[in-house]
Amino acid sequence: MNLITLIKIGWRNIWRSRKRSLVVIFSIILGLYGGLIIASLMITLNDQRMNTAIKTYLADIQIHDKKFSEEYSLKDTIYNIQSIEEKLKSDKRVKSYSKRTVINGMLSNATGSYGVNVLGINPENEIKVTSVYNKIIEGDYFTSKRPNTMIVGKKLADKLNLQIRSKVVIAFQDINGDITSLLFRVEGVFKSGNSMFDDNNVFVKNNSIFSNLPDLKGYHEIPILTTNSNLTEVLKSDLQNISNSLDVKSWDDIAVELAYANKMISSFLYIFMLIVLCGLSFGIINTMLMAILERKKEIGMLMSIGMTKWYIFLMICFETIFLSLVAIPFGILISYITVDYFSVQGIDLSIVESGLENFGIGTVLYLKLPSEYYFNLGLLVILISFISSIFPAIRAMKINPVEATKSI
Amino acid sequence: MIQTEKLNKIYKQGKLKVKAVNNVNLKISDGEFTAIVGPSGSGKTTLLNCIGGLDKPTNGKVTIDGEVISSYPSNKMIKFRLNNIGFVFQAYNLIPVLSAKENIEMIMLMQGYDKQEREQRSNDLLNEVGMGNMSKRRPAQLSGGQQQRVAVARALASKPKFILADEPTANLDSISTAKLLDIMSRLNKQENITFIFSSHDQRVIDRARRVITLEDGKIITDKKK
Repeated sequence: MNLITLIKIGWRNIWRSRKRSLVVIFSIILGLYGGLIIASLMITLNDQRMNTAIKTYLADIQIHDKKFSEEYSLKDTIYNIQSIEEKLKSDKRVKSYSKRTVINGMLSNATGSYGVNVLGINPENEIKVTSVYNKIIEGDYFTSKRPNTMIVGKKLADKLNLQIRSKVVIAFQDINGDITSLLFRVEGVFKSGNSMFDDNNVFVKNNSIFSNLPDLKGYHEIPILTTNSNLTEVLKSDLQNISNSLDVKSWDDIAVELAYANKMISSFLYIFMLIVLCGLSFGIINTMLMAILERKKEIGMLMSIGMTKWYIFLMICFETIFLSLVAIPFGILISYITVDYFSVQGIDLSIVESGLENFGIGTVLYLKLPSEYYFNLGLLVILISFISSIFPAIRAMKINPVEATKSI
Repeated sequence: MIQTEKLNKIYKQGKLKVKAVNNVNLKISDGEFTAIVGPSGSGKTTLLNCIGGLDKPTNGKVTIDGEVISSYPSNKMIKFRLNNIGFVFQAYNLIPVLSAKENIEMIMLMQGYDKQEREQRSNDLLNEVGMGNMSKRRPAQLSGGQQQRVAVARALASKPKFILADEPTANLDSISTAKLLDIMSRLNKQENITFIFSSHDQRVIDRARRVITLEDGKIITDKKK
């Protein structure tokens, strides 16, 4: 007997009890759909969290002076910044960069005080690297001609009851170790999508910093955006070679928790989907056992006339695999359509806005799912179907033809 | 030639031992048209199961053309059945998802016949049993008598040395029974195919040329007509 005949019999057998087969097929479709949509949601949430962080403040790469990375002291500015800038300007992998001063200080007003990270920026350059300018919800992004203006995060503004044009004082240790205070006015309020960032960071113009701190001669941070995120690691290593005094870090070195989540998500998703499919496999096993019980006489007859146990085993395996082969294209297709639709329309999760913002995720999710997930999950379903078929197939092999047919 | 020597088959029913076949010595030559008859529980089916290699005798031998098949291991027995024995079942036992022709072809597929030979032989056999015009119908689209005729064609498809038929007419009406017996009788006479039936249908007994009567697993009479 050749395999084609077995395949033909197996294929026809699954349509003998249409309702039962359709129930199994629908459950496989739903399992696959559920698995793929959850995978898509998780990947989208993770990507969105990562992208929010990169676009809002991290950029792809950051350069600091090594000592600054250790002590966060104002005096540890980046040495020989001109040569670094020349290198960045000539490197085609660099999309844009900016220069920042970074001050850790205490922001106070009549309502209270709060520890913040003050990022001094050149507004025109920063636009090319990060998207804070795009996240202004009140006021403006450094359009005022006043010298000391500041934009603050929404969460911090709410906490300290800050309004546009409110006055705040930032106190910090200057280059000489003396406590210095600077007065700023709130010019704008931003909402980055990451409430933790909005709570701890304020932006001011570099000019304001330099004019108030004449002893500060350089910058502490160069955030760099690459043309392609795949080039980040190579560029990072090339930039590190410029000088040993530099501390060049990619976004995943700086935001370790984000990088860890990004690395873990794939393994986590496959484990999750495996659990879903294992649950499904019990349904498949049950259905196939019922099918075998119904066809006991027929299987006994096949054994009587000379079909070997191995072929009986294969026939049952084929039937089970066919059920999944019918279900997989539908499961993948509806998952693809759903992901494609919501990749454009987005899923509005504004009802859980505050919760999402705590994780640095926006309220509208634009679903995405790499094609390898469709392929791998499809293979996983076939594998689970095959494994599910083994027990029923062994039961079929053990059928006694005499008992099954009751007579010859 | 089919031969049984001191054939015994004992079943255990709880603590009871039931002798279904009791010391049966039997010789059936090629070309015979034999009916094994007897009341229910007399051991007809068990004797056929032992001759067909579906059941292993408790002791004694079944020899077919000099080969002691009762000692064959399971896999060898399956292959032997495939190439040497045709089976006709009381409940037809056709595969419901295959057409009449495909049911016949399937056994030849197992034997490894090529497509052309399968086509030719299955068409010939369907014509032989008067089912040539229903080759594409599935079992559910055939009457009981038609299904049993297809089952006979399937039994013949493997070119067996003999055909074992257990109560082949039990589920058939008188017209279908007569047609089926005509076909089997013709095949026996024209092509010298050996048929062994188990039956208590008088119409089968009347057509048989040898009638072996069993009671309590023992041969009571063995009459040739």
